[in-house]
Amino acid sequence: MANLKETILNPILKGNPITVLILGICSSLAVTVELKGACVMALSVIIVTGVSSLICSLLRKTIPNRVRIIIQLVVVAMMVILVDQVLKAFAYAIDKQLSVYIGLIITNCIVMGRIEAFALGNKVWPSFLDGVANGVGYGLILIIVAFFRELLGSGTLFGIPVLSAIGYTNNGLMILPPMALILIGCIIWVHRSIDKSIQEK
Amino acid sequence: MNTNSNVYTVIYTTIVCVLVAAILAFASQALKPMQDANEKAETIGQILKAAQFDFDDSSNDAILAFYKENVASAILVDATGAKVGELNTADAAIYGTSDLKAQNYGVKDETEYSIPVYIFKNGTSVLPIYGAGLWGPVWGYIAVDKTGLNIVGAYFDHASETPGLGGKIKDDPGFRAQFEGKKLDFSDDKTFSIVKGGAPEGKANAIDAISGATMTSKGLDEAINTWIDAYKNYLNKAEEE
Amino acid sequence: MEYLSLFVKSIFVDNMIFAYFLGMCSYLAVSKNVKTANGLGIAVIFVLLITLPVNYLLNKFVLLPGALSWLGESFASVDLSFLSFILFIAVIAAITQVVEMIVEKFLPSLYSSLGIYLPLIAVNCAILGGSLFMQQREFANVGESAVYALGSGIGWYLAIVALAAIREKMSYSNVPAALKGTGITFMTVGLMGIAFMAFMGISL
Repeated sequence: MANLKETILNPILKGNPITVLILGICSSLAVTVELKGACVMALSVIIVTGVSSLICSLLRKTIPNRVRIIIQLVVVAMMVILVDQVLKAFAYAIDKQLSVYIGLIITNCIVMGRIEAFALGNKVWPSFLDGVANGVGYGLILIIVAFFRELLGSGTLFGIPVLSAIGYTNNGLMILPPMALILIGCIIWVHRSIDKSIQEK
Repeated sequence: MNTNSNVYTVIYTTIVCVLVAAILAFASQALKPMQDANEKAETIGQILKAAQFDFDDSSNDAILAFYKENVASAILVDATGAKVGELNTADAAIYGTSDLKAQNYGVKDETEYSIPVYIFKNGTSVLPIYGAGLWGPVWGYIAVDKTGLNIVGAYFDHASETPGLGGKIKDDPGFRAQFEGKKLDFSDDKTFSIVKGGAPEGKANAIDAISGATMTSKGLDEAINTWIDAYKNYLNKAEEE
Repeated sequence: MEYLSLFVKSIFVDNMIFAYFLGMCSYLAVSKNVKTANGLGIAVIFVLLITLPVNYLLNKFVLLPGALSWLGESFASVDLSFLSFILFIAVIAAITQVVEMIVEKFLPSLYSSLGIYLPLIAVNCAILGGSLFMQQREFANVGESAVYALGSGIGWYLAIVALAAIREKMSYSNVPAALKGTGITFMTVGLMGIAFMAFMGISL
């Protein structure tokens, strides 16, 4: 059981895919302007990483080694298309806002990375948990970044006025893409100040 | 079993691909009606917003119900201003963006136009426009009053203009608000202009362009003029009545 | 749309890295020195330039609603656009594989400097992103999509070489321990992004 706990907690804290491993930043910084979009994106990534890890782990003994990567890509792409289709049907406005970034989950290195590094060598249940936990670790950072960007950039949270209600002047810079990077830099700073073992020399 | 043999690899890959394609085709078929309904409700919402209606946009049904309640008729006209068809308002039939695109690029001869006018019970008419922005299509709706010359409001959308620049045609309420109270002037060289660097003061048929988004503003300007000129005869008739 | 305007805009204004964060993983991982950054950058330009026009044709003649009508009337109503992600990524993976093999066979010197990056590129978001933007932007012909590919590739190349140069110099700076490596790199990219935004007002 201790092992399972490790599987779940490690990707969220010590081995966080974004702040420690620097994976999967590509597709998602642009969706952190608003909390709502970030939450949907986080949820989509959790579902995609979890289920594709599960499927690949199920298939791990049968996949021919030479076409391994292609099969993984096909499985991931299928999941992403399913998520995209479901969003289009049930959350049209959000899907439109996330535009191409949903499709870019396919090339999110976290998904492929976890399948390659974990799911292909482990049983189904731990693989699923590993996928979900990595998705959560990733989503957590997205939501933190989106929280600050929406709060300071538009003065709202989930579209509800918070700071703007008490006379705060919006900081337009927070809405612009570069601030997402600087915010992640700050999160890494805080994270590594607390946990000195992951500092780089 | 030897999972590395050629035959196995080919068969395995084929099976996976066929399976995935089948699952996706099924999902796409099953969800298509809902996706289409969403798209339709979004378009109707934009038409209503252009006409400055204040409505409940929380669900597709609410938007459709509001539209059906307030619309008087939805007709199709050609470039001479003659009515050539009608859209069924009872089931909220509309021209979606793909229909507008077909009219914009598909019709070569002006007399073949069949473009929609949505007429509401309060006298407002909404006219769609369509054209090319910087990166992709831009489209929108311009609402005019009974005379057909005074602009009541407008709403624009785009496929992929740069957020914060060209994207402002949709996201910046200030840009849209400029249209309110402006006029269409068919006697001018250009019926309506979006002027880079700011519209001259007192000019009733011009507004300011978005700074930094020259191409998008130009594309929108062109789209408005092309389409409004196609509606010219219809609007002139409306004014006489 | 004029080719030159499209070209300049895709390099500077809609820069893959600074405006859309595409290809960030390899951007941050492979920008430690100018030489490797140079290699990866050129590989990205190369692959974008090949895959984008191919995907454009694929999109136009297979995927779009009604695109299959050249096969006959009965295919006119077929809409395969839901398959676009999977086909784009398959094309990209296949092309990088083929390019890798060709380069290895005929240009061994190029392969030794570029080869190791090619497999990395199949999962580079900038490549898939390029194809998805191309689909969204409805370019008028293959030429435009090729110009766009070249422009965004060069934009990506410039960004990674510039960052690598800064990081080389930065190794002499006294950075707080917790910020070393990744943290400060993120902030540097952020500041470079702000600098690049100066190009936004460009009117062509």
